[in-house]
Amino acid sequence: MNLKFVSAHAWLTGGAALRSNWLYMITGMGFPLSLLFVVGVLSKGAFLPYALAGGLISIVATNGIFTMADLGMFKFEYMFKDLIVSTRTSPMDYMFGVMLADFFWSIPSIVLYFILDMIFHILTPYAFVMTLIVASLVLLSTASLGFVLTSLVKHQRFVWAITGMLSLVMMIFPPTFYPYTYLPHPILLILTISPTTPAAVLEQGFFGLAPTLWYMLYILIAETVILFLLARYATVWRER
Amino acid sequence: MIEVKALSKRYHDGTVALNNVSFRLDKKISAIIGRNGAGKTTLMRILSTQIMPTSGTARINGIDVIGEPNRIRKMAVSIPQEAKPIDYMPAMDCVKLYLAARGFGRKEATARAEKALRTVGLGNDMRKLAYELSGGMKRKVFVAMAIASDADIIFLDEPTTGLDPFSRVEVWSAIRAIKGQVILTTHYMEEAQALSDDVLMMEAGKIFAHNTVDRLLRPFDGLVRVESQRRNRRAYRVGSTWISYVKKGRAKSMVGKGDVIKPVTLDDLFIKRGVNLES
Repeated sequence: MNLKFVSAHAWLTGGAALRSNWLYMITGMGFPLSLLFVVGVLSKGAFLPYALAGGLISIVATNGIFTMADLGMFKFEYMFKDLIVSTRTSPMDYMFGVMLADFFWSIPSIVLYFILDMIFHILTPYAFVMTLIVASLVLLSTASLGFVLTSLVKHQRFVWAITGMLSLVMMIFPPTFYPYTYLPHPILLILTISPTTPAAVLEQGFFGLAPTLWYMLYILIAETVILFLLARYATVWRER
Repeated sequence: MIEVKALSKRYHDGTVALNNVSFRLDKKISAIIGRNGAGKTTLMRILSTQIMPTSGTARINGIDVIGEPNRIRKMAVSIPQEAKPIDYMPAMDCVKLYLAARGFGRKEATARAEKALRTVGLGNDMRKLAYELSGGMKRKVFVAMAIASDADIIFLDEPTTGLDPFSRVEVWSAIRAIKGQVILTTHYMEEAQALSDDVLMMEAGKIFAHNTVDRLLRPFDGLVRVESQRRNRRAYRVGSTWISYVKKGRAKSMVGKGDVIKPVTLDDLFIKRGVNLES
């Protein structure tokens, strides 16, 4: 693995670029915070803890969707992918570089959510550690999905269409902002097609808001492994 | 040195981009010229390991392009047509990122990027965000990547397309500063003439001429081009213009009102083949 590239990409297009493009950081916060506000108002505060727990997953999933949008921009707008195919960089280096760069952009939102979790007294050390594990799995699975899809599309306009659909499937339908117990079990199982569903269910358990369904962890791990292997082996790098 | 034998590329939609192409390039700067769709970019992308050919072989310094892409990637740099620096990053960081992709560590990448950006005349602009740079400056960022890489082979796909004449001359100077063997594609004849030691001329996926500029123009020795709007059965028609070739000494006496006399360029090889390069 070309760690020099992974770290350089993560820092130069993420951490360093963040300073001169801080408006995008606020954009990244916008969607999860808006939903948090709407859910909080409509439920008269009843669902706020659920939205705070699931909001973290939502931010990480947004990060994954941004990764796909960025990969599209790099491929079609900057021709950056064409530029680095002819270097020592592998597809996995590239994916990790873009994924970690976008993660830099999410850090302020994640910190804000953890602060809100503390303010509302739902964050425990256990929930914090488990959240990091679950969030890492969501980050890897959504970025892998974005990577495979971007390698297959032929134009940036398809990237926008797909990211729009992914936002629906990953953030609106799954129980990231409401109790998973409201869903009939078969529907919950259908919704596990998105990694954010098992992640949100687990989060509600870790935060003590609902029973922990441990089999959701196995589903999340399986999805992450499958999507990562797809990204590893199904990505079109040297075209035919 | 680049050796290509019987190279062909047919895309999934049936388009034949390269048709049994063979050649050898061993000069310092070689230009591949042809109109849009001639197969130049496909050829460059195959040689720089971005796409696979349908058949044929290609070797760079004796290494198989198709079978050993990772060895090729260590020695070759490819700057794609229409590549843009990432616009929210400083020019310096764009070059550093590319060098990291080539395996350079942070310190060495920084030193090389700085030196290369000075070489191409961006010493005072290297901290500017890419979107603040002019079109010519953006292209120079990519030439700086090629220079900083210190690669043996550099592929530049249409490095000056869309630039104004002044910026093009600036980019040419930067290209001349590259140490390795340069292969560039262009559809600007004066660019090929100004920069290259030899020229490969392509049309419809095939090579129809390969030689030095002087030798390619030898059939036109002592001739000038006369462009006229009047119909002439013995001239070549390009759009609504009729082009003929006459001896320098006789040109002035032969031309009519509105006719234009121009020196012969590589354009004329295409015109004689009935190919309108601007189309």
